Amino acid sequence: MAKLVGPLRKELADSLSSCRVLVVGAGGIGCELLKNLVLTGFKNIEVIDLDTIDVSNLNRQFLFQKKHVGKSKAPVAKESVLRFCPSANITAYHDSIMNPDYNVEFFRNFQLVMNALDNRAARNHVNRMCLAADIPLIESGTAGYLGKVTVIRKGQTECYECQPKLTQKTFPGCTIRNTPSEPIHCIVWAKYLFNQLFGEEDADQEVSPDTADPEAAWNPADAAARATASNKDGDIKRVSTKEWARSTGYDPVKLFNKLFKDDIMYLLTMDKLWKKRKAPLPLDWTEIHHLEFSQEEACGTGLKDQQVLGVQGYAQLFHRSVETLRSQLIEKGEGAELVWDKDDPPAMDFVTAAANLRMNVFSMNMKSRFDVKSMAGNIIPAIATTNAVIAGLIVLEALKTLNSEFDQCRTIFLNKQPNPRKKLLVPCALDPPNPSCYVCASKPEVTVKLNVHKTIVQALQDKILKEKFGMVAPDVQIEDGKGTILISSEEGETEANNNKFLSDFGIRNGSRLQVDDFLQDYTLLVNLIHSEELEKDVEFEVVGDAPDKAPTPSVPEEGKNIANGNKDSAQPSTSSKAAAEDDDVLIVDSDEEPSSSTMEASPESSNRKRKHHGTDTDDAASKRKRLDQQPADDDEDIIALD
Amino acid sequence: RTMTDHKTSKEQKYDRQLRLWGDHGQEGLENAHVCLINATATGTEILKNLVLPGIGAFTIVDGHKVSGEDVGNNFFLTSSSIGKNRAQAATELLQELNSDVSGNFVEESPDKLLDNDPEFFHRFSLVIGVQLPESTCLRLGSVLWDAGVPFLVCRTYGLIGYMRLIVKEHTVIESHPDNALEDLRLDQPFTELKHHIESYDLDSMEKKDHSHTPWIIVVAKYLEKEGNNGTPEDEENFEEAIKNVNTALNPTKVPSATEDIFNAEQCENITSQSPSFWVMAHGVRDFVRNEGNGKLPVRGTIPDMIADSDKFIKLQNVYRDKAMKDAAVVSKHVEALLQSFGKPPESISEQEIKLFCKNAAFLRVVRCRSLAEEYSMDTFNKDEITSCMDSADSEMVLYLMLRSVDRFYQQHSRYPGVYNYQVEEDINKLKLCVNSLLQEYSLNVNVKDDYIHEFCKEAHCLSFVAGSAAQEAIKIITHQFVPFNNTFLYNAMSQTSATFQL
Repeated sequence: MAKLVGPLRKELADSLSSCRVLVVGAGGIGCELLKNLVLTGFKNIEVIDLDTIDVSNLNRQFLFQKKHVGKSKAPVAKESVLRFCPSANITAYHDSIMNPDYNVEFFRNFQLVMNALDNRAARNHVNRMCLAADIPLIESGTAGYLGKVTVIRKGQTECYECQPKLTQKTFPGCTIRNTPSEPIHCIVWAKYLFNQLFGEEDADQEVSPDTADPEAAWNPADAAARATASNKDGDIKRVSTKEWARSTGYDPVKLFNKLFKDDIMYLLTMDKLWKKRKAPLPLDWTEIHHLEFSQEEACGTGLKDQQVLGVQGYAQLFHRSVETLRSQLIEKGEGAELVWDKDDPPAMDFVTAAANLRMNVFSMNMKSRFDVKSMAGNIIPAIATTNAVIAGLIVLEALKTLNSEFDQCRTIFLNKQPNPRKKLLVPCALDPPNPSCYVCASKPEVTVKLNVHKTIVQALQDKILKEKFGMVAPDVQIEDGKGTILISSEEGETEANNNKFLSDFGIRNGSRLQVDDFLQDYTLLVNLIHSEELEKDVEFEVVGDAPDKAPTPSVPEEGKNIANGNKDSAQPSTSSKAAAEDDDVLIVDSDEEPSSSTMEASPESSNRKRKHHGTDTDDAASKRKRLDQQPADDDEDIIALD
Repeated sequence: RTMTDHKTSKEQKYDRQLRLWGDHGQEGLENAHVCLINATATGTEILKNLVLPGIGAFTIVDGHKVSGEDVGNNFFLTSSSIGKNRAQAATELLQELNSDVSGNFVEESPDKLLDNDPEFFHRFSLVIGVQLPESTCLRLGSVLWDAGVPFLVCRTYGLIGYMRLIVKEHTVIESHPDNALEDLRLDQPFTELKHHIESYDLDSMEKKDHSHTPWIIVVAKYLEKEGNNGTPEDEENFEEAIKNVNTALNPTKVPSATEDIFNAEQCENITSQSPSFWVMAHGVRDFVRNEGNGKLPVRGTIPDMIADSDKFIKLQNVYRDKAMKDAAVVSKHVEALLQSFGKPPESISEQEIKLFCKNAAFLRVVRCRSLAEEYSMDTFNKDEITSCMDSADSEMVLYLMLRSVDRFYQQHSRYPGVYNYQVEEDINKLKLCVNSLLQEYSLNVNVKDDYIHEFCKEAHCLSFVAGSAAQEAIKIITHQFVPFNNTFLYNAMSQTSATFQL
């Protein structure tokens, strides 16, 4: 160890052995970082991660081996580091950093916090905790060959939330339920279906035809006369999808016929939808098994995952996976729920099969399991080399921060290949705080446009305060002179308000809400603007916030766009322990890939075609190649960076 | 355990990287045998980054024994390995990271191997030399140069990282260019495309069909009508056509980089020893000069666009079919070529040829200069050095300092600043080395004293250098993406980096 003191000043070297640092995340960057920290001479390290080890981690998270699969990351990482460096004092937590136990006091134990995270919710939270505790934070992220490291210091630099991040892209309910036009719509539908059938039911994840689709402007009474197929469906709709499935004993054939035949025939009765679109073609279980499909055998010679099966193949896969999931459900006992995980083979098989069958119904070219997994799992490619580079840079920024050389700290972007000025690394001066940042400004304030007659308190809490503004447990008081408490984070105090509309509490245009998050030591003043003119399926709009539009593609620094690295969905994307909705949030990487601007077009009016591959002539190799060339080209919908 | 099980588990383990370089890239990695010379902290870090993604095999060459210092800065050595051979100890620990990789070691210094069995090094797909003395570097460099084995030299010095790639010729089929233009041939439509365009009659179409016509057709139709001054329709596909017209109408021609490859001597004189890259390049050249009428094989892909499925797929198939047809013609040329020197036609697969044709516009050949050229008084790149040194803090100064440090090592058999009590003395000695180097090469440049002081500090491992070095190694092994040419310098103090051609 002594040798490493070489390039470091003696005082700094001494301070390393006495200071305490926190590493948030023990994944790709975290493993490399822990190694670098002990080798540099850091002695007191705490590491926290809520995730467990998966096989797909082993190509880069070198502190884990095959025998560790399924175990908690943080403790295993600690053991592996101690093997090589027995003198280090490491504390490992298998927990979420958003747990209230890790309060401001906890953060004040450290001289420095280093993020090695993979999701935006946790990054937002750690950012606020470090601001509240006034502890320097080093933030980092990687995606494929790209990476970024930056330093955040209260009052001196931009905080993680100073620049608006692209808001996550979600799809309007009726696109998912009625009029999918792209494979991603079918994949989202299939994931919803999984939860509706086997997981936690969520009213926002309906999969059956949406009769309230304003575009259909459809009068059920009129159409009922014409519809021959819809008489039965009327009944089905009144019970939940899960109850109905249960009543059939999860019969795969009945499920198949309901989803891909009856529901589709019902959709066909909403004839306005199909005036400008190609109408869907229902599939019938018996019929497809009698048809001769010449191209039925799997095409493509590559890995099994990359083959595109035919309709029959996917019907069989659907059948098999429903049976497997059914028995998993039975095994777990009464009232059990399954959680969708991209790395769980039967769950992934189910989504692959259901999504592809729906793609077929809506005349899209089907996709391989590999591609579906990319899109369904928000998978960001990840490799050892980039993480190693970034973890090395983090330590250098850490040393400068601890050595009071704060003016020397930089934001550093790692490019895929040297830029025109032959720089692989692009260091940039740290920007000062954004005075109108809704997080780190001295009196944070935002303006939100919504319809006070249509927005319920629950939506304000979940979608606006928690999801959009990243709070964990908000308290809301109306500035009406009386200090009416709208939401309390104490259990049992304001639940009765949840389903009431904001207008029920006298909230109107110009009302102001004071929102506090005690854990984050954060107060936000929310100005409300009442609006009746929000776009369809938009519940609220933050004034001054960039909408889901792609900024101009010509961004000066190449690395800047990828900024915050790995699967930056707004929710933690780690596996099964995360919230059920975790993987459902789809974010468009608009600035990286101009072609993803297709996503802006209102989906119900455009009938765009994705690049088609997997048709009979395409071979797996060339398909994969295209994917390599521009991951975002094929996977544009899933790259969740900002 | 069956083969398929094994394949599936690999697919899972490597899932996140297959998405970057594909299974043929992975196959390249798995067939590679990498040699690491010196299992120093940087060396083992590089190897770690190659073992995790699953190279086929590695061999560590190292004559040193593990010291206490090694254990302190090398994560892959533990105190129980002190006194053991470093190659062996590191191999054991690195091997643990991935059971699919075969680890080997040779307890011998590279100089000894070069004395006794220089051909030993011919077997590798890549040799990575870490912290090698200048003399060893030059010797090994010339052996590998002649054998055509890529050689990556890496060193870290204080907070400086240095990499040098030495390879006579490195060919890249998949260079993964950013912002590549589409290959649509709208300026010179091929017969099948012409017919397809003719099958559309925009004027007599119904509104729904009209608005779902791919913009490529819209542009093609517009081009057909001479002196067209009608206003475009207010439809989304027409907007898209206007937006794309500039990039879609790029003239169809052979890019100069590809032209250079066609004109290269290796393409001209194909022998039975020629690598398949050059055989295929020759085949494509024959195509261009004959059936292609001066054009490359059609790439066969079209971008996303507003269109209904049916129209889109039909149009896509027009391009795809033409690409297949062109590739088949190239195949014939390649076949003939192979047969002309008695090689079986299947020695280059259909799939390889298709991939090659698809990437014909993006082919790259990287030729580095040899170390001998870089070091020789007659051929060293004086222009690059002097022009960079116009700014005193160019990373080039680090290169000159490293060369001076090597000179110091040659004279004193140790690096400067090893012993604290000698620092002052070493600064003067190193200064002499700097001056003699500049004089010898008649370089009229100024090296600031600050740098000389800085270089009298101790060596230090950098995970950064290890990450970048491994990344370059993967580029070389998989023949995807373009590696740097030929010198890379990194300054951890200023977080800057630069590449030079030396």
